[in-house]
Amino acid sequence: MAAGLEYTPFELMAVAGARELKDGEIVAVGLGLPVIASFLAKRTHAPSLTMLFELGVVDPEPIHTGVGLADPRVWYRAKILSSFVDMLGTVLHKGLVDVGFLGGLETDAYGNLNTTLLGDPKGKFRHFVGSGGANDIASCACRTIIIIRHEARKLNEAVSFVTSPGYLRGDGDREAAGLRGGPSRVITDKAIFDFDPESKRMRLVSIHPGATLEDVLANLAFQPIVPGDPPATEPPTAEQIRLIREEIDPEGMYAG
Amino acid sequence: MAKLSTLAEAVASISCEAHVALSGFAITRCTMAFAREVIRQGIRGLMVSQCVGAMDADMLAGAGAVERIVYGGGSLDRFGRLNCVNRGIEEGTLVAEEYSSLSMAFRYLAGSLGLPFIPIRSLRGSDVLRRLQEVASSEIGHVDDPFTGDDWLVLKPLVPDVAVVQVQAADEDGNAWILGPRWDNEEQVKASKRAIVITERLVPTEAIRRAPERTVIPGFRVSHVVHLPFAAHPTSVYRAYDYDADHIRQYANASKTPEGFLKYLDEYVYGVKNHWDYLELVGGMKHLTDLTADPILGY
Repeated sequence: MAAGLEYTPFELMAVAGARELKDGEIVAVGLGLPVIASFLAKRTHAPSLTMLFELGVVDPEPIHTGVGLADPRVWYRAKILSSFVDMLGTVLHKGLVDVGFLGGLETDAYGNLNTTLLGDPKGKFRHFVGSGGANDIASCACRTIIIIRHEARKLNEAVSFVTSPGYLRGDGDREAAGLRGGPSRVITDKAIFDFDPESKRMRLVSIHPGATLEDVLANLAFQPIVPGDPPATEPPTAEQIRLIREEIDPEGMYAG
Repeated sequence: MAKLSTLAEAVASISCEAHVALSGFAITRCTMAFAREVIRQGIRGLMVSQCVGAMDADMLAGAGAVERIVYGGGSLDRFGRLNCVNRGIEEGTLVAEEYSSLSMAFRYLAGSLGLPFIPIRSLRGSDVLRRLQEVASSEIGHVDDPFTGDDWLVLKPLVPDVAVVQVQAADEDGNAWILGPRWDNEEQVKASKRAIVITERLVPTEAIRRAPERTVIPGFRVSHVVHLPFAAHPTSVYRAYDYDADHIRQYANASKTPEGFLKYLDEYVYGVKNHWDYLELVGGMKHLTDLTADPILGY
């Protein structure tokens, strides 16, 4: 059935993201792919998923493209409009957020994320966005899913600045810092990874149709764990692609 | 004492080196008219705080009015970076205490409750914390939970000298509504020693009394009420007007260089006498009417 079905890497990643979400869960999202993944999950296997945005927005149904979380377009038809203390405090900090989606300038072999600066933190560097709610989500969510482009400059052995902690330097380091949870998946446009239960190092789970193992490894600046012969990522179904294109994102507003 | 003031009077109540909390979030409900007047009055040495860095803080930082910024990171959303704040950090001319959204919100919350400190699960193990230990070691500490013995990271409360809040409606006493998400604004105001309310609409106290559950900012915390339509331009005010995308793009572009930013200031801040002149300069009645929010959509 799916033979000959055409889809973009973005659509495949959104479907892979949706697959990670279970019905009844509370998910902290940012703009873009996580929103599509969440809406897709809601319309298929997880109708009672709750989506929250850090500044105080729950379950919106936007009909126009927003430029960011601060854009009222993103809040349209929300069930709740409240505050940071309400969302990041009484929900996230209390431990009720099951999944958080995170992205960044770069991530590393242990799922740490950098959204703060590139260069030498003690010398010459370029400053970017910083944390926002990312550090809070990485610190307090039960698990996080990292979405990042598969490029060697974005996938390093160690990030130059840990804005949002993953497993830090691996094996017990996160727990020692007093943190629970941690990243459960990394979804790129070439592959899906999880983390080795012992070493907490990134481990290849599947390779997207069209990509090869060589391709995956050549565009990484570190060596992930590669167990045996990794399978192909399950492709989207025709119905999933139809939902994304016709119902969730007919204007292609999230895809950019 | 009558609180209804001109913008110039309200701004003149702020002393150099004051700690000012601002209500903006990226490109929404930013205290832009306030920032422009602060720059015109030449107030300097401010400590500026907000949960997520926004256009108001960026303009103040670029104009050299800010010595220290206490924030959780920020941007102009997809319009670009906070070029002035980032340049100040990169060149070492601006001291940045950089937290996360929740750690900022908790610091205001602790301030609003009069607590000595607040424990938090965030920041641990990160370089955000490592950097804070260098630039703000007096603001963070550790305590043992007296009940379990667990070690907790704790933050000092923020108690700004004044919170400046852009709202949709307020009465002459400063009882105010914030429509849409409030992000950190309620805790900011309640943590601060006083508040300046800048309101799009001035409503009679009878309107406040008829919907008291909407009052987010209590008048008794407010020192000045400034009635000034389109005071957040070019940023948006939910249910009042949309952001001015072309103008923000122009700012994001101009602020990429110090020269471009100063040229922008010359035109839109120093080049106008007051807010009314500014509104004429950016397009006047026709343009502002086009930005007015649709009542159903809210933007």
